[in-house]
Amino acid sequence: MKYRTYIAILLIGVLVTSCSDFLEPEPSSALTSNNYYTTSAELESALIGAYDAIQGVGDFDKDENHGVQYEFYITEMRSGNTATKIADPDDFSDAGQFESFNVLPINGLVGNYYDSYYEVIYRANVVLDNLGNVSDDTSSIEAEAKFIRAYAYFNLVRLFGDLPYVDHVLSPLEKEAQFTRVDTSIIYDLIVSDLITAEAGLDNTYKTRASKAAAQGLLAKVYLTLENPEYAKAQIMCEKIINDGSFGLVDFNDVFYQELNQEIIFAVGFNSLNDSQTFSSQFMNSVGPSSGVNYATYDLVDDLNEFGGIRAQYSFRQDPNHLTSVRYQCAKYFPDGDDGGTTNPHTFDISPNPRLAGNDWIVLRYADVLLMHVEAIMAGANETNVGAALTSFQQVRDRAGLTDAVTEISLDDLLLERRVELAFENHRLFDLIRLGRAESTLSAYSVANGFGFTASDLLLPIPQNEVNLSDGLMTQNPGY
Amino acid sequence: MQPTKLNLMMNLKIKLATIFTLFCVIAIFAQEKYVLSGTVMSAVDKMPIPGANIIILKTTRGTSTDFDGNYQLDVVKGDVLQFSYIGYVTQTIIVDSQKTVNISLVESDNSLSEVVVIGYGTQKKSHTTGAISKVVNDDLGQIAVSRVDDALVGQVSGVNIQATDGEAGAAPTITIRGVGSMAGDSTPLIVVDGVIVDSDFLGSLNMNDVESFEILKDAASASIYGSKGSNGIIMITMKSGIEGKTRISYNTYTGFKEARKSDAYGYTTKEWAEQQMEENGELSIYTQAQLQTGTDRSWQDVFFDGGAITSHSLSFRGGNKSTKYTASLNYSNDEGVLLNDNYSKYGARLKVDNKINDKFSIGVNFTPSYTVRDRFAESIHNVARHQPWLPIYHDEYTLQMVDPSFGLQVGDYARQDHFTIFDFNGDGVFDEELQNLGNSTNQNPYARASERSRMDKKFKLFGSVNGKYKITDGLNFTTTISGSIQDTKRTDYLGTLARRISTEAYMVETNQKEQYYIFDNFLNYNKVFGKHEIGVTLGNSIETRDYFFSTIKGIGFENDVVQQISGATSIIADETFGFEWQKRGISYISRLTYAYDDKYLMSLSLRRDGSSIFGSDYKYGNFSAASLGWNIHKEKFLEDSDFVSLLKLRASYGVTGNDRLNTGSVNPDAQGSTSVLSSDNVLQDYYPHLSLLDLTTYVVDGTITTGYSPLNLANPELKWERLIEINPGIDFGFLNNKITGSIDWYQRTSDQLLLNNPVSATTGFNSALVNLGEVKNQGFEFEIRTRNINKEKFSWQSTLIATTNENTLVNFADSNGQITSIDPSRPAEWINQEGQPISSFYGYVVESEVPVEYRDRPYRHVGAEFGWVKVKDLNGDGVLDADDKTILGNPYPELIWSFSNDFKIGNLDFSVMFQGSHGAEVRNIGDHYLFSHNNNRTLNDAAAEAGYGNEFLVDKYLTNSIIQDASYIALRNVNIGYSFPEDLTSKLKISKLRIYASGQNLMYKTADGYTGWNPEALDKTSPTQYGYQRGGSPIYRTISLGLDLDF
Repeated sequence: MKYRTYIAILLIGVLVTSCSDFLEPEPSSALTSNNYYTTSAELESALIGAYDAIQGVGDFDKDENHGVQYEFYITEMRSGNTATKIADPDDFSDAGQFESFNVLPINGLVGNYYDSYYEVIYRANVVLDNLGNVSDDTSSIEAEAKFIRAYAYFNLVRLFGDLPYVDHVLSPLEKEAQFTRVDTSIIYDLIVSDLITAEAGLDNTYKTRASKAAAQGLLAKVYLTLENPEYAKAQIMCEKIINDGSFGLVDFNDVFYQELNQEIIFAVGFNSLNDSQTFSSQFMNSVGPSSGVNYATYDLVDDLNEFGGIRAQYSFRQDPNHLTSVRYQCAKYFPDGDDGGTTNPHTFDISPNPRLAGNDWIVLRYADVLLMHVEAIMAGANETNVGAALTSFQQVRDRAGLTDAVTEISLDDLLLERRVELAFENHRLFDLIRLGRAESTLSAYSVANGFGFTASDLLLPIPQNEVNLSDGLMTQNPGY
Repeated sequence: MQPTKLNLMMNLKIKLATIFTLFCVIAIFAQEKYVLSGTVMSAVDKMPIPGANIIILKTTRGTSTDFDGNYQLDVVKGDVLQFSYIGYVTQTIIVDSQKTVNISLVESDNSLSEVVVIGYGTQKKSHTTGAISKVVNDDLGQIAVSRVDDALVGQVSGVNIQATDGEAGAAPTITIRGVGSMAGDSTPLIVVDGVIVDSDFLGSLNMNDVESFEILKDAASASIYGSKGSNGIIMITMKSGIEGKTRISYNTYTGFKEARKSDAYGYTTKEWAEQQMEENGELSIYTQAQLQTGTDRSWQDVFFDGGAITSHSLSFRGGNKSTKYTASLNYSNDEGVLLNDNYSKYGARLKVDNKINDKFSIGVNFTPSYTVRDRFAESIHNVARHQPWLPIYHDEYTLQMVDPSFGLQVGDYARQDHFTIFDFNGDGVFDEELQNLGNSTNQNPYARASERSRMDKKFKLFGSVNGKYKITDGLNFTTTISGSIQDTKRTDYLGTLARRISTEAYMVETNQKEQYYIFDNFLNYNKVFGKHEIGVTLGNSIETRDYFFSTIKGIGFENDVVQQISGATSIIADETFGFEWQKRGISYISRLTYAYDDKYLMSLSLRRDGSSIFGSDYKYGNFSAASLGWNIHKEKFLEDSDFVSLLKLRASYGVTGNDRLNTGSVNPDAQGSTSVLSSDNVLQDYYPHLSLLDLTTYVVDGTITTGYSPLNLANPELKWERLIEINPGIDFGFLNNKITGSIDWYQRTSDQLLLNNPVSATTGFNSALVNLGEVKNQGFEFEIRTRNINKEKFSWQSTLIATTNENTLVNFADSNGQITSIDPSRPAEWINQEGQPISSFYGYVVESEVPVEYRDRPYRHVGAEFGWVKVKDLNGDGVLDADDKTILGNPYPELIWSFSNDFKIGNLDFSVMFQGSHGAEVRNIGDHYLFSHNNNRTLNDAAAEAGYGNEFLVDKYLTNSIIQDASYIALRNVNIGYSFPEDLTSKLKISKLRIYASGQNLMYKTADGYTGWNPEALDKTSPTQYGYQRGGSPIYRTISLGLDLDF
């Protein structure tokens, strides 16, 4: 009888344990978003996460988002500035499609950038969606998140055109929002409004995080890029930076090899030991997994030699390891172990590892702002001789050792100056489009090299993966 | 009430009195003895049975039949005689003054008396309605392997045990009835004496302690384990204590192992030179130089250095009416066939069962083990691909060929790129072309393997305590607390000489702990009412698993004196971390079995499982099963049949589930695998319904700053992966069960697969865990056992086992047609396409090899093949693009079989098993490395002149050039043993003494075109990219001698 009592107690015990808490263990080694984002420090840590998404993962795993590290493929290599080491119209590898304007919707590098920058937008939206949970003043956090979101959208909208409008965290079920492309003007409205908030709420504490100047500079460029450009507003934004006094030009080589220098307004931070990037090694000959990408075209090299002044020697070098023909490499971002030397054949120091590099990616620097200042003053005309424009222009040229006085600046002068100043910095394609020279310039380049440029190549294809997932909702850009 | 001394005395007196009285009674009835004689014969063929035992029950007297089946025995009227012989049904008769008793023994129908373990209970084999295979451990202990699962190869239909990794102590890949899951693993559930353990415990059990294996194959049988049963279940019953005098057994064997080398990969410089002379009539200057180094042997001769295996096991079994126990100790050491691989195992076991009284009994079981696995430190392909002319160390002679600026000395490791100084045209200038003689600039392969040390040390313990209470006749309550603990320490020390540069030295040390506890409470009711036999099982099970993992990486070792983290001068913060995770479950279990007149059989079960993996609304899943059976041979019309002795029809339907996810977690035990777990993947796999945050870093103005970002797209609606299986089957026995067997057909459909599926990037993620897709496996299983000859001095039995399986991806939703690759530098592709198996090899089809006259320096590297091949323009559009790729094959075997024969000739026994697998293919990327494909991909000027261009030339790894048939036929086991005759052993006070010799894989035949070392070898990859073979450790043969001794 006694045993039966025990059994009865046991059975009751068993039933009691089956309450639901038992099956809901909290993960002890991870935070869950259910109980996070409740203080401004936690929101700030989410902002760091958003920068981490811009930064991308520093390896070559195709399943990882590589953020800004893959940007050169879809911008510089489509601008006539750079190409693969041996450019070939029949090269259908992912990297080889850009120079010849044969980009396919299945291109993994295009997909990676789209994924990466929507991840940036998502992480910014996580911060913005949770602002209400925090009782402290969150205006600077909001400003920073909006800067990040605007930065990502601005790149996406220039590359892909109409886009899905994502201004909050999407659930996987919100198919409509994921795949409906809205007009670029609506995207630009969001960008402008986000940047205005950012400009108001930020100060100039950081260079690799958002700042007031970064918001001003980006806003200036957005104003110049709009379908109906707002030149006056752009000029004001540039002048706010110029008049601030915190920024200025430095020795040209130091721009790239002295990080956080006075010229930098906004850069994406990297560190060779713990947060390395891969583009530096990719630009080299067979150091990264490719056998050389983002090599300077002869066209660019000619312009640099002829119009670049001292910028030529700091922007490119002849590939010392490619012995069968003359090829030029980018010299602005040498990886670890490369002293920039031209020993032939060139040997890297065995250690440190040349696949590692901590060079920051410069998004916005003072010289760019000065040239935007010229562009804003030119205000859509074909030339200008306004003093303020000449002053800004002259500063950039003086630093390059081209001290002859400029008295008038034509649109083509401006474009050329931007090319030699900002070579390899992913500006050329956008400059050509913004200044209305894309079709003529790229057609000529394409004809000269046997490539197949057409006007529809100015926009990238929407990644095939998104089109496939959309069940017919997502439209493709014309020409693809 | 406390018994007083007086009471005890009283009790004793009463007992003595009773016994005395009984003796008197017996004496009164005792009558005169007389001699009874007769013959014992077989009921079927009326042949005499020699050696049959006759004993008089309740006495110690008895005899056995002579060679002609005759016996004589002194009996008195009323004696109860029992006639028995192995393989026959025991008969008893009561002596009633007959002078002669002739007995015909009927061959026993094993399936009638045999009991099988069915999960939370047992059942008569004749009453089972599911597909359950039983392997009794008669002599599996003589197979010289260090893991119990390795010994099961070929023993059961439907089970594919593949030596995917031939390293000592490495786990084989076990799949029961095909791969059905995408994200989960396909390893079956392992249950040892009712305790659920991790499959890794198969590596620490001692085969001599195992009584039997039961393999629950169909979902109806496995459904009693619900969510754990979807990959089938291997139930292991360990030996229990036995009543009577303590029996001591000692089992040992020792043997040698030898790797199966590859002829294709075994080239030497000399053979290469001969081949050139034949093809070309002259030797290339490279070969001439390579012949000078004084060394010429294939690297497989260095790395496959053979091994030895030794095992000792000592066990004690005994007990009395109330207490039975077994205790054992074992040790084995398996030196693998690779250089420096070794697996040693120390184990112990204690099991005690005590009957406290008629109602209550308890049992305790305790099995600790400690294993040390010294792993081959490198991937085989990476070291074996080096050139045969490369010595291990430099000597005075080889230093003459080395540029002095290297500063090398005698005894230093030799690298291929050291050999630079050759002057063949005698012009006094070193030939520039010969400065790059080798195919690799890596450190010497011997140094890579031997200057690095990888050790896995595991302590494991599983045990249980159970109490059983008999409530009334037929109704029992059992409560069990069981648990297993694993503590693993892995170290990876890469020494200062293991790489070209000494600063690459590092040490990684990881610790992993796992604790798993289960609390079971069960009511079992078994009762016979006339012709009705009913069994009811009701129960509840609660389980918790707690895991912990930590890793630390140190660098900056100046020398190899202190091979510990403490020898490091700095710790890599990024790769030093720890985390823990949990899993919990609750289950409610019920089963009803019913048999009417032993003819009509039925089993119903329902299990409800709750798992912490899923969100609160989806935690529970119901897993039901129903099965029916009909013993036709019990029907009147067959009862008297001479031909049919057993005929049972079975049909089962069952549902099982799966909650195991795998978003990319590594298996640290796999060959070439890192031992570091990724916290991202693990946490996602264990908490997929929660939105987790991950630590991220960003460089804020030069300073590394940490932040948090969402790690996964939470799916609170994730639910159980489901497997539904139907399985009709037939069991048969003919000619008095001389021929027995079974045939099963199964169709397993897994759906709601737990899948990491692509989602729109606008959600912030590329994929999310969802329930999606459907996979089907179907096939036949066939087992036939015959007793061909069954004489006293000679018996012969045969067993044929065959399994077919066809795997089909029925639905893959958004991922249909997904094409993926594993190695970005060698992007060979897999496709997951509906209507095809889960994963298929994908790529181009070879049109022709590049003619040797168009290859640039074809004789530069020893054993080189050209790395490019011309492929077909499948769609004929003149352009090579993605449309010219096609499915090239798949890695799933279509047929696996085994054929065994067992002979007994007097005291000699002999058994032989052939085993084979057909229809699987592998992508043998080993060719790419071993044939220097990477170094031979340039056309020469002659090609250009002849207009032979690059069009349609691609790397061989992108084509079917390296897809090879992985079929094999192996002579798996040969054993020959001799048992010393009883009259000899009894003098030595030994009850059994047997010596034997055993061989594994004495013959191993691979398919034509297979070039590698082991067609079973596979890299650990995801189920969607299956069949990748990167070298892989070799199949080996073992020859051993053993001894079984029982006291």
